Amino acid sequence: MYKWTSALLALSFALTLALAACGNNNNNGDGQAASGDASPSAASPSASQADGSPSAAAQGGELTYALATSPDTLDPQRSGLAVAVRVIRTIYDNLVVKLPDNTIKPWLATEWTESEDGLSYTFKLRQDVKFQDGTPFNAEAVKYNYDRILDPATKAANASALLKPYKSAEVIDEYTVKLNLETPSRAFLGNLSQALLGIVSPTAAKKYGDQFGKNPVGTGPFKFVKWEENAEITVERNPDYAWAPEIVDNKGAPYLDRVTFKIAPEEATRIGSVQSGQVLAAETVPPQNIVSLKSNPDFQVLQANTIGLPYTLFINQEHAPWGETKARQALQYGIDNGAIVKTLYLGTYEQAWSALTPGVLGYDASLENAVQPDVDKANALLDEIGWKKGADGIREKDGKKLTLRYVDGSPNREKRNDIAAIIQQQLKKIGIDTEVVITKDILTEVYTNSNYDLYGNSQVNGDPNALSAFYHTAPKGALGNLSKVSDPEIDQWLEQGAVEKDDAKRAELYKKVQQRIKDEAIILPIYVFPYTVAASKSVQGLKFDLLGYPLFNDVSLAK
Amino acid sequence: MFKAVTGRILSSLLVIVGSSALVFVIMYLLPGDPVASMIDVSSASPETIANLRHQLGIDRPFLLQLADYFGKLLRGDFGQSVLNSEPVLPKIAKHFPATLALAACSAAVSVIVGVLLGVLSAIHRNKPIDLIARIVGLLGISMPAFWTGILLLLIFSVRLGWFPAMGSHGWRTLVLPALTLGLIGAGFIVRMVRNSMLEVIGDAFVVTLRAKGLSERAVMYRHALRNALIPAVTMIGVLAGEMLAGTVVIETVFSRQGIGRIIADAIMAKDLPVVQGVILFSSLVYVVVNLLVDLSYAVIDPRVRRSA
Repeated sequence: MYKWTSALLALSFALTLALAACGNNNNNGDGQAASGDASPSAASPSASQADGSPSAAAQGGELTYALATSPDTLDPQRSGLAVAVRVIRTIYDNLVVKLPDNTIKPWLATEWTESEDGLSYTFKLRQDVKFQDGTPFNAEAVKYNYDRILDPATKAANASALLKPYKSAEVIDEYTVKLNLETPSRAFLGNLSQALLGIVSPTAAKKYGDQFGKNPVGTGPFKFVKWEENAEITVERNPDYAWAPEIVDNKGAPYLDRVTFKIAPEEATRIGSVQSGQVLAAETVPPQNIVSLKSNPDFQVLQANTIGLPYTLFINQEHAPWGETKARQALQYGIDNGAIVKTLYLGTYEQAWSALTPGVLGYDASLENAVQPDVDKANALLDEIGWKKGADGIREKDGKKLTLRYVDGSPNREKRNDIAAIIQQQLKKIGIDTEVVITKDILTEVYTNSNYDLYGNSQVNGDPNALSAFYHTAPKGALGNLSKVSDPEIDQWLEQGAVEKDDAKRAELYKKVQQRIKDEAIILPIYVFPYTVAASKSVQGLKFDLLGYPLFNDVSLAK
Repeated sequence: MFKAVTGRILSSLLVIVGSSALVFVIMYLLPGDPVASMIDVSSASPETIANLRHQLGIDRPFLLQLADYFGKLLRGDFGQSVLNSEPVLPKIAKHFPATLALAACSAAVSVIVGVLLGVLSAIHRNKPIDLIARIVGLLGISMPAFWTGILLLLIFSVRLGWFPAMGSHGWRTLVLPALTLGLIGAGFIVRMVRNSMLEVIGDAFVVTLRAKGLSERAVMYRHALRNALIPAVTMIGVLAGEMLAGTVVIETVFSRQGIGRIIADAIMAKDLPVVQGVILFSSLVYVVVNLLVDLSYAVIDPRVRRSA
């Protein structure tokens, strides 16, 4: 009798422990809910506030915005992730802003002049700007920022690449700063508009050092409040804000009281939270959800194509037979990219046609539809250069099979692994045996060992000079030139484009580059990535910058 | 008795050190490079990459890295994240309570649902309740957690709006994840309790009890159940491992904070010190729970007590 009582005692003890743990959590939970913090009612305070003033651009409220991954840091100069930029954009401003028509307009700088030799820029700065910690914004602050990026201790790998060829800064007077360059660069001024070159508070950056990324301070429309790792990041209205750039309508402080970014990696959860009203907006909507959400009157899907280099498959010319133009052209004709993009993205992504995306200065729209899939032509091209189909349908030459090693990264970002699977099937039809290799170690496989025939990459960038890293003959082992292309004419055009002051002439140079890339079948452009946001209908005024990052200055919550 | 306990503790230590060394080797052999998740390699120079690798200390020989790791560990230094220099131990300490809450509630769901259904199905063998219990058992152990999770989320969060789809504050955020994870454990327990209950019911002492004139109720709940429950205690130890492993998936699906989420992110980014820290910590928790379970046999079962 006794024994079983003790057995039950032990079991009930374990149960009590378990339940006690739950019980504790209940209490916490009630406390949280009472303060209206993170429960699903998060959306309702804003809704009720908006009821008070039903006019457009209602003041106040909280926007909850679900992000697909967690930012690495909120120090713009140290970050390397697009997801971090979505938050960074709310906290920091830049010297200049780039509009969708590629013109550059004032932001923290009011005007600027460029020296005759193109080796320096002199900026006049706004005099009414303060950082969120009270530090005045001035020429010293600008100099501190750009020098900080150059300092190796900052570990600003991505920002320093953007800042190139910056050399030094001179403080002329309190609100005038001169930036000196190593070489002239047409991309430099535009790059200053990029979020990774946002201006941080020198006081805070010195104070927090390595931990500045967790304690960010800028001059932007929102102030950092808190970052709960893997859960949420909150920023609140900066009431003093009065220097918004031309790209938004509201020049003053934002309408919203706060924006809470929730981190939700699982896409079903992220989109489900918008549908259930737990958040008001969520980013990166899977194609199948875009289609269904668009037909639902309670929701809206906002979409902004990113610009720069589209997702592009680079053909490695160092591996035979892909050094031959005709072999590459066979891939160009043998792959039906239109079918791939339609099948995988259900019409929500646009097909790419060139080495640049639409929207970048110099994009050559004449290349659209210029190449149409043609299996017969592809077969003929391969026959011509001596690759004949064998008994198994795979081509052979001198006893060697025609194989193609297609390397792609893991996880399956934007269904890129599925693209590889479809291309494998399509190339079988023209007698190419494709080996698809999915790996996490792209750095070793692709960049160090060059063990690929086909590898895909993309880059968000506002300036056509982005082409240089990918298509200019690689200077002593640089990593970007994935096609291993070396064409003296392309090199020359890219070099001229990097310094040409006349935008129309510059555009012509980049058009020549794109034309050549297509004619020589150096790459296979695949798709233009759209940044997508699913939102409740009550979210109004969400805009995107040139690169497709969301801007919250004009956002208000209606009804 | 004392000797047995010391032996158990020593072998537990061995398990912890062994698993931690094993993980170090696996992570080292796995392809991938933390540098690739830190910078855009296509526009970086090889020197930048080499410098970064040097700063992180990942360009050193393997044995040196391993020795360095254990050396620091002995001094209580779990190291810091290679990605954002955050110390590992405080990071785990900060996120463990959320995981503990989830694991404990899931275990409670497992035990309550599992024992209840297991007993009912054994008593009412081949009746509808038995069928239901067997289906729960089968589904529990065969449905992948992420699938069950998304299914529950679509029904109870998106369609019905009863519970939030994400978050880790408040009991309402705990319901769906605990149910998802608890169902897996319940699947195991239902099947086990049912079998052991059926076995006990067939035992001679049950016949004796019935012959003695005890009511069927007393026979079942006071005598048979107590005998059948002993294996369930063992299951708690096994469950602790299941629950900890399950949080990796569940915390990601429901966007909860916790150490499962941390390790999932760290593995993707090859953030070795964080992976190591979480593994070490989890194996510690697992070993301690199982040690307690082992020791509790002595308390629960007189046969164990006598033999020890």
